[in-house]
Amino acid sequence: MRGFVPFLGHRLFRALIALWLVSTVVFVVMRLSGDPVPLLLPPDAPHSEIMRVRRELGLDQPIPVQYVIFLSNLARGDFGRSIHFREPAFNVVRGYLMATLELGLTAFVLAAVVAVPVGLFSAMRRNTLVDHVAMGLALVGQSAPTFFLGILFILLLSLKADLFPTSGRGDWRNLVLPALTLGAFTMASIARLTRSAVLEVLGADYIRTARAKGVAETWVVAKHTLKNAAIPIVTITGLQFGTLLGGAVVTETVFAWPGIGRLAVQSIYNRDYAVVQCTVFLAALMFVVINFFVDLIYGVLDPRIRAG
Amino acid sequence: MASSIPASAPADAVLAAPAVRVPARRRRFPGLVVAGVGFVAVLLLVAAAAPLLAPQDPVRQALRGRLAAPTWKGSDGRAHLLGTDHLGRDVLSRVIYGSRVSLVIGFAAVLVGGVLGSAAGLAAGFSRGRLDAVIMTVADAQLAFPFILLAIGIIAVLGPSFPTLVVVIGLSGWVSYARILRSQVLVLRSREFVESIHALGGSLARVVLRHVLPNVLSSIVVIATLELARAIVLEATLSFLGLGIQPPTPSWGGMVQEGREYLDSAWWISTFPGLVLMITSIVVSRTGDWLRDVLDPTLRGE
Amino acid sequence: MELTRRDLLKGAAALGAAATVPLTATGAALAQTTQKKELVTAQAGDISKFDPHFSTSSNDIRVSFNVFDNLTSRHPDGKLYPGLATEWKLDGQTTWRFKLRQGVKFHNGDAFTSADAKFSIERTYDPAAKTMVATALATIEKIEAPDPFTLVITTKKPDPLLPGRLAFYGGQIVPKKYLESVGNDTFNAKPIGTGPVRFGSWVKDDKAVLEANPDYWGGKIEVDRWTMRPIPETAPRIAALLKGEVDIITQLPPDQGERVTGNATTRVAGALYAGLYVLGVNSKRPSLDNPLVKQALSLAIDRDAIVKELWRGRGIVPNGPIAKGDNHYDASLPPLAYNPAEAKDRLKKAGYKNEEIFIETTVAYVAQDKAMAEAIAAMWKDIGVNVKVEVVEYSVRAQKNREKSFKGMWWSDPTSTLGDPDGMMWRLLGPGGPMDYWRDARWDELGNSARFSVDEKFRAGAYKEMTRIFLESLPWLPVIQPYEDYGLQKYVDFTPNPNQQFEVRRFNLKLRRA
Repeated sequence: MRGFVPFLGHRLFRALIALWLVSTVVFVVMRLSGDPVPLLLPPDAPHSEIMRVRRELGLDQPIPVQYVIFLSNLARGDFGRSIHFREPAFNVVRGYLMATLELGLTAFVLAAVVAVPVGLFSAMRRNTLVDHVAMGLALVGQSAPTFFLGILFILLLSLKADLFPTSGRGDWRNLVLPALTLGAFTMASIARLTRSAVLEVLGADYIRTARAKGVAETWVVAKHTLKNAAIPIVTITGLQFGTLLGGAVVTETVFAWPGIGRLAVQSIYNRDYAVVQCTVFLAALMFVVINFFVDLIYGVLDPRIRAG
Repeated sequence: MASSIPASAPADAVLAAPAVRVPARRRRFPGLVVAGVGFVAVLLLVAAAAPLLAPQDPVRQALRGRLAAPTWKGSDGRAHLLGTDHLGRDVLSRVIYGSRVSLVIGFAAVLVGGVLGSAAGLAAGFSRGRLDAVIMTVADAQLAFPFILLAIGIIAVLGPSFPTLVVVIGLSGWVSYARILRSQVLVLRSREFVESIHALGGSLARVVLRHVLPNVLSSIVVIATLELARAIVLEATLSFLGLGIQPPTPSWGGMVQEGREYLDSAWWISTFPGLVLMITSIVVSRTGDWLRDVLDPTLRGE
Repeated sequence: MELTRRDLLKGAAALGAAATVPLTATGAALAQTTQKKELVTAQAGDISKFDPHFSTSSNDIRVSFNVFDNLTSRHPDGKLYPGLATEWKLDGQTTWRFKLRQGVKFHNGDAFTSADAKFSIERTYDPAAKTMVATALATIEKIEAPDPFTLVITTKKPDPLLPGRLAFYGGQIVPKKYLESVGNDTFNAKPIGTGPVRFGSWVKDDKAVLEANPDYWGGKIEVDRWTMRPIPETAPRIAALLKGEVDIITQLPPDQGERVTGNATTRVAGALYAGLYVLGVNSKRPSLDNPLVKQALSLAIDRDAIVKELWRGRGIVPNGPIAKGDNHYDASLPPLAYNPAEAKDRLKKAGYKNEEIFIETTVAYVAQDKAMAEAIAAMWKDIGVNVKVEVVEYSVRAQKNREKSFKGMWWSDPTSTLGDPDGMMWRLLGPGGPMDYWRDARWDELGNSARFSVDEKFRAGAYKEMTRIFLESLPWLPVIQPYEDYGLQKYVDFTPNPNQQFEVRRFNLKLRRA
């Protein structure tokens, strides 16, 4: 394990730098996007009003000063106050976070639960109609634009077939369409991955050996498939779960799902700096943490990496 | 999000392992790859010949004939094979012209991303030190960042114009190129590689030209194809969010957005551009996948 | 899922021919009555704040006007009624005396007195309070509360419209004791007012729940609870109504009206907006500083087509800067004309040399803004104008509005807050006002004297003259005075208010019971 700890340490350092970079980029972009004060006051408010509110919000300081204040607050976990909601930004984000986690977890679990058996089945029934249909759908799921998938689902399954509600968050029925939309890419990727992993295993020597020995084929297939597919699946998982926010932005907008993706977009339009900074930081943090664990798991699974 | 090239530890580990590349064997090009490339060619043709192919002016409004269902003879006496939208404009013509936006921005963005990414990758590979670390950390940061938010933020600041869109979409994809080029450069510069070459009695220049360069090129072709699909989808997504090409110029994503209010009455406004977009994305992605299978299996991250 | 009207009707139909005759009759009757004790409404945007002095957004106002009361109240019929003030009269040129309602309690049990009224109104323009409605009641000089149920307001200059001003935003009455003890933030999180509903809970972007105030002085409202759900997209909002999931939806686009009318259980109710949808004009920009150009642009707009086709007839063509329904609306003036030939002529006379003319439009800020902008741009292209449409975000629009930096024209939906041209044309276009891009000495003089005059005949003449000047210089291009439509279940008796307030008090909202 000797090479592993420095490897992880190196990864951690890079992650921290990445977080800092992300925060800085958000800060710069938001400051450049303009003044939020006109959004808060009625149009006939005099200039003195504007200046007063700007001072109150700390926006009258020069940008470098604001940046230093921003960073030092960030280090203390203080994300600032939401201009739009007049509450601490973190409280606002926390309120929306559960919704996104609910959606993301459901999407992911749904994806895995459906995709793995489908991939397995497709491989074992290779080149039959089932295989072609499944892989065709997987292709659609991986390449189709998320927003249009959502619109199609709404049109066909909600408006025409009346099976599910069209938007919003409520009971389990409201989860289905957004989760399908968000999870489509992951589902398709995992299905294809599983299928190729199984195919590779099926063609391998140890299968023939097992058959010759009379060992239950399925069990061997499953065990070796798992070993084979583990790394790519873990990679996909890390990436997908970590970039949850990116995919969620579109899905939450299409379905009016009250999560942090939608919150971030609205806050950009509202020029609510603190909320945007907080959301992006937390999303990046989530990504970094998850990928850190992914690296950890690699270390367990793949000896090459352990050796550094 | 259509890219199926993950770019983290395992890819790094695999690609960083020094090896002498075996020259790609000549494989037969499956008919499907040809079909895929053919599709893109047809699309390019349609986009270029739009004024000849489109039955009507895509921005011509006819308030009295708005929201008309697909028909052979509309209220203005003309055929509207895909219906009219909320301002009476012919959907078919708009879909045809919409291909221009998608393709021009798509190709331009791929060019921008490719050039930037390749330059960054080369710089990182050759510098082997601070610059390399900086570039790779920026790449990490970009992965960690929900890019669509950055795109929204930047466009909200700068306003949606053609150059802004091309640069933003191009910027979203530079990392893949950078990683490939960087690892190729690292391979070239590794001592084992140089020693092997000398041991085998060849000259570095010849090996680079005969083997490395074609491999790099084929990798880039594969990445570029997949990136094209992704760029087209990203442009459509941004247009859908209202941050893309401005009215009245038709764009597929924008048309889907315009039709949202009429989804259960005048469904054709959203559905047809969306379907064309989806098919384009699927075919181009698939072509990229096939190209990768044919040209460079080591790129497969699956 | 609770039994919806559709389920009942389906069940009725399934029972067979003979049985359906009486049952269908009952079915139809069932659709028109309800036993519900809860009101569910949906609007296009979520609330951002509950504190009534910190927002003028219509999404917030719809709720805050029901959690809080004002001293006076403007009903959908356009007249001013008593609210927390039972009587008021002018005492001399600049003093108004208000007699306040007795026995009113805030939602936390505290009694309402003149101290609260004085505190609330002063809060709006108190620099330390930093409210967002500081200019609403700016004509007030000082307020005195000589006894717990009398309020004396002195204005800086004679202000005959003061009671009307108190009925609109800024005039909501907040509890002095509670606010001072908990501070602004807690007050915003747990608001207390005197209104017919009190705050229950709020999950952002999900729903707000308000409980009926059983001791409301105007009578407890029909239902025990009101749930407000934001549904930003049109199709799901209407679907929710058609499926029976909500009772009332706001911001119903004209294109969807037929579906709501055609549905057995729902109907459309609209009020002619107390205001106009106009293209504001930055008359300082080249080309737009020439009145002939603006007249040409106005003549080239086929408003009839816009009303008939885009709005499905749900609107009227304006005839000037005064909204129909306001004081001094001149019914004798013809609707703004459409004459493309004349328009081309004026362009030529103006010496227009193909300069770029911009429309910076928002999307869904003013109803149908983008669609109308594109339609109007096409009409202008037809007379040879080099017009460019640019879509801007609401935040960008707000900034340009503040900085007066619009490139050309933009959408505005000025509300006639007082039922009088003073509250719209003068408030917005007057010197130093939010849309001050054009000045005319005579126009200014007339507007100023009309504001402070109590002679209605004089004011009528002044506004007539101001309209004439307006139509020559066109600082606004009025486009339409639309109906703002709501979708309702048939068992809801509700009258929309032309000034966009959402009135749930007993006199305005009832559910039909069997």
